[in-house]
Amino acid sequence: MPTLFEASHEESPKAKSAPKGSLREKATSLKAFASYALHPKGLHFETQEKEEEIILFLRQHLIFLIPWLVVGVFLCFVPVVFPFFLSAFPDYFSLSPSYVIVGTIFWYVAVFGFCLTKTIHWYFNIFIVTNERIVDIDFINLLHKEFSEAQVTRIQDISYNTKGLLGTMFNFGDVSIQTAGELPNFIFEGVPKPSEVVEIISDISDGKEVTL
Amino acid sequence: MTPDTIQSLSWLLIKIFTIVGFGIYALFAGVIVRQEQLMAKVLEEASENFLKVLAFIHLGAALFLLVLAIFIL
Repeated sequence: MPTLFEASHEESPKAKSAPKGSLREKATSLKAFASYALHPKGLHFETQEKEEEIILFLRQHLIFLIPWLVVGVFLCFVPVVFPFFLSAFPDYFSLSPSYVIVGTIFWYVAVFGFCLTKTIHWYFNIFIVTNERIVDIDFINLLHKEFSEAQVTRIQDISYNTKGLLGTMFNFGDVSIQTAGELPNFIFEGVPKPSEVVEIISDISDGKEVTL
Repeated sequence: MTPDTIQSLSWLLIKIFTIVGFGIYALFAGVIVRQEQLMAKVLEEASENFLKVLAFIHLGAALFLLVLAIFIL
């Protein structure tokens, strides 16, 4: 039977040109709720230009969500304990069942809303390093957004610190970037693998091909 | 005014405050949905749909609660 279609075995120009050990070679699709991604695929941010390539994507380590989730789980048990508390004062508190039902549902909806806003806040506070600039997008609260950026050529000094037991165990810390002139300094707080982040940004600002 | 009237009036006030409170909460849930949409424009990522769904579930629950409160309180 004649061959109607044969898949091309040629690699894409990008993949072909990727040197061994380079970030492009290690490029992967961004996993859901990832807090560290090298050369991520399928990611785009608001002011990204056509030729601009995202090299590093960061947000706070996932562990920063755990305290809020623990608080959320704890709050879920409050409606279970609350009736016992009320039963101690039967003369003062006598709620009709309809208020108990509505109040309990409201409590769980509010706890869900609390956890959701914390998750959204974590999810959209991001740091991006491209081949041209570093970008810090902060959502201070639901109605307050801050967008800062600096060209990689303006980076003067970069350092990191890892603090505490959790920081050491899970390898996360703060990365500080000082920029030239009146540009704002950047602090990437609680990001995973801070030493690698410093290494990558240093390589980019020196104009080197980034390898790890 | 009789004590019964005072009691029924106070329950009516509590009902009104509860419904107004739930209405404000439903507005807050709407703000979360809107804000999520605005944030998603800043960062286009595959897993943002999951948060969008959660935000809509939260809004739906808040609206359901408001309607429930109007009917059963």
